[in-house]
Amino acid sequence: METNPLWYKDAVIYQLHVKSFCDSNGDGVGDFKGLTSRLDYLEELGVDCLWLLPMYPSPFRDDGYDIADYYSIHPGYGTLEDFREFLVEAHGRGLRVITELVLNHTSDQHAWFKEARSARDHPRRDWYVWSDTDDRYAGVRIIFLDTEQSNWAWDPVSKAYYWHRFFSHQPDLNFDNPAVREEICNVMKFWLDMGVDGFRVDAVPYLIERDGSSCENLPETHDVLKFIRARLDAQFEAKVLLAEANQWPDDVRAYFGDGDEFHMAFHFPLMPRMFMALRLEDRKPLVEIVERTPAIPETCQWGIFLRNHDELTLEMVTDVERDYMYEEYARDPVARLNLGIRRRLAPLLEGDRRRIELMNGLLMSLPGSPIVYYGDEIGMGDNIYLGDRNGVRTPMQWNGGWNGGFSTADPERLAQPLISNPVFGYQAVNVESQRRTDHSLLNWMRRLIRVRRSTRVFSRGSISFLSPANHRVLAYTRSLDGDTVLVVNNLSGTAQVAELDLRALEGAIPIEMFGRSLFPRIGELPYMLTLGPYDFYWFKLRWL
Amino acid sequence: MTQATLLSDDLLRRLISVGQVDVLVGVPTLNNADTIAGALQAVDEALTQHFARARTVVIAADGGSRDGTVEIVGTTAPEGGDRYRGLRTRHRFVAAYRGVPGRAAAIRLIFTAADLLQARAVAVVDPEAGALTPAAIGGLLRPVGADSFDLAAPVRARHPLERLLVTQLIRPLVRAAYGRQLDEPLLTEFACSGRFAAHCLAEDAWDRSPMREGIELWLAVTALSGRFRACQTVVEAAPPGPSARPRLGLQDVFAPLVGSLFAALEAHAGAWQRDVPSEPVPVIGGDHPPPHEGTAGAPSGLGGTFAQDVRDLRPVLESILAPDTFTALAAVAEAAGSEAPRYTDEVWVSTVYDFAAAYHAGVIDRAHIVKALMPLYVGRVASFVTRHAAAAPGEAAQNLETLAQQFERSKPYLIERWNRTP
Repeated sequence: METNPLWYKDAVIYQLHVKSFCDSNGDGVGDFKGLTSRLDYLEELGVDCLWLLPMYPSPFRDDGYDIADYYSIHPGYGTLEDFREFLVEAHGRGLRVITELVLNHTSDQHAWFKEARSARDHPRRDWYVWSDTDDRYAGVRIIFLDTEQSNWAWDPVSKAYYWHRFFSHQPDLNFDNPAVREEICNVMKFWLDMGVDGFRVDAVPYLIERDGSSCENLPETHDVLKFIRARLDAQFEAKVLLAEANQWPDDVRAYFGDGDEFHMAFHFPLMPRMFMALRLEDRKPLVEIVERTPAIPETCQWGIFLRNHDELTLEMVTDVERDYMYEEYARDPVARLNLGIRRRLAPLLEGDRRRIELMNGLLMSLPGSPIVYYGDEIGMGDNIYLGDRNGVRTPMQWNGGWNGGFSTADPERLAQPLISNPVFGYQAVNVESQRRTDHSLLNWMRRLIRVRRSTRVFSRGSISFLSPANHRVLAYTRSLDGDTVLVVNNLSGTAQVAELDLRALEGAIPIEMFGRSLFPRIGELPYMLTLGPYDFYWFKLRWL
Repeated sequence: MTQATLLSDDLLRRLISVGQVDVLVGVPTLNNADTIAGALQAVDEALTQHFARARTVVIAADGGSRDGTVEIVGTTAPEGGDRYRGLRTRHRFVAAYRGVPGRAAAIRLIFTAADLLQARAVAVVDPEAGALTPAAIGGLLRPVGADSFDLAAPVRARHPLERLLVTQLIRPLVRAAYGRQLDEPLLTEFACSGRFAAHCLAEDAWDRSPMREGIELWLAVTALSGRFRACQTVVEAAPPGPSARPRLGLQDVFAPLVGSLFAALEAHAGAWQRDVPSEPVPVIGGDHPPPHEGTAGAPSGLGGTFAQDVRDLRPVLESILAPDTFTALAAVAEAAGSEAPRYTDEVWVSTVYDFAAAYHAGVIDRAHIVKALMPLYVGRVASFVTRHAAAAPGEAAQNLETLAQQFERSKPYLIERWNRTP
């Protein structure tokens, strides 16, 4: 493996669910042996980091985010030995691996919680947050509005309420307890010693509770995170902590600290605004959110994405924006979940190849490390009728044959049904058929990732927006150490003209980065470009 | 000026950048530096509140301002303000038109832009501060943008002794002729559909006098005489703003407006020559406002020269008026002496209709015909104001309705007179 301590700043991350990726033993559930068998595919795709959704033993009432044992592998996914072999094979292909670390809560089936509830004087009692009444921390928002009515749940065993910010079967750990912090560090060390390259840390704003507060983003939470980061740095090199904090950029900024908390954090508000800008055919929402994104320490990086395993969250938008997004992207109420939309990329964009390409072009050219959700590279569909967010976690579609090449099990035995409709089903959308076609979405994505990785301008460069009068055109330059890339996107479904004020780049020759075509030299006059519907250009600028 | 030269290359480039829009707001400007910022703020707030999702553009159609108006429009762009929370980019720019400054040229440019940008709804907003609130602008645009009306005109609570040219002449004649009860036929501010704007653009009124000078009236009459859906929206009475605009005298507005009114009758003769009762134009956003209870600021001391004016104009009036009308008018004048006359509804309506028919016939120079009506109008105003000076506003308003009904009852007379003349 390359020994670049800042590797995560340049990474193209691929997010996958072991259970849904490839089943090696025909039991209907994806596993690590299956995943290992598909590493060549991921290497070909060109990504360089895999982010695995929870792989721990779990009752799976929240798709694995309800962990019942932090030191093992869910039996359905294989064994610790399978996982070690997977790590070796991935590293051998230059693929780093980050896993989930659910800090905030455990499953109510975790031994810690079972012990804690067993007696009020049990030594682990204080590993969770208890109360004799359900009115403490009044006013704290409920996150899963569709299913929960309170952040407190009654425990009939110990006859007290326990605190939970997510589902009631996920009691929050008590991070005021030093023993909890210590144990979490032990968990991390266990996996890092094995070779894991980092963690995506779930639900970080909620670690600490205080009366009279929102119980989110508290200073004490940052103290916990600094403690964890310091322990990590003391023991390991070139590892990464990626924060899940669905907050405004100004609030997320605090999770980078002075480079002493998280290495990375998701940029949640950017994602819905990319979709909004596309539907509005207007760059305004996208430019606004990028421009109000604060600078972060040199060693830190944003994680940006189009879709992931959760709903397209609309928490970080205004009411007007949320209404617009629902109306434009989720007219069917079944597609709406909590404050979001449970759909994959391709169905959101009505399977429109041009829009899918444009959105991926934005993902790969805006500041941050892009994260591709498994299956989106081939345009997989979803099933909004599966309940919760399961509809975007269906089996990977490898070919048009039995179970889409995912498993040899009887179809009825699959942990999740395949997408089978004529438009997005595995017979129409699969890896094998797209591998055979040069101009398939899959091969286009490979080229896109290759071009993205051809320069560090995209991953580390600064961004400067241009302001062409045509608001349907989103144009920006990315610059790093004398290298400049000009990106011009047409957000509309009709041909557009853009007059770009490029006087600051006078004398440069734009070279289109996909076809290496030369464009006229930039002069004093406005630089005129015409773009077809949803077209985009990446120009490397050369002064020759 | 032809339409081809209406758009400068710079304006065309700006329109290309704007692209298709849902709502276009046009603000005719000419040396409005004192008030334009407030007007634009009202427009921005209206668009943000009522059209958050819509593609919008605000165009100041400027007739050559030299007081900094243009610069103010350019430097108070909505994007920079914390107030602006719309989803989309809002374009705003100044479009200078060439030729004689005036509302016709400004509105023509606004309509042209709306046509090119395929705007669904267009609003024309007066730059005088406070003339329309954000709620009122939104109220005007909504029926057009959401309910497929072609024209939305404001309706306000007014004192019955205000805007006497409208209440004594224009409103009742429009009502009688076109069969539609529109309170404010002078469209200083209004909203209209893109379809209506495109229709008006194809008319030849823009360069022709007197329609050009009375374009606000022309637009209203065009809407009422065609297959267009019109409505009125209730707006609050405009608070007096810090306008530096000089008030126009009667002699400045009478001839253009009355000339335009008569010319419109001629242009739309096929549309109004049926004797059918009028219908209300639907009022949206509340009930029709009752008359304003405040003081009217009505003119006083009028009518003292009425008898002398009638005597002086006798040869002209005899060529215009029907004999019975002239006899009745002469009697009114004779009785008045040096006082305000008692100019009855019946005689006034006959007077107006005779003048309209004479205008159509061109019995003498049309400008002279219109000019000759002005002293009679002053006498009628003196009569009405004197009679209602001490009356409750409700009583005066009721008598305005009686006058309007008289105009309607006498419409067969207008048709007969109109068609008798070659």
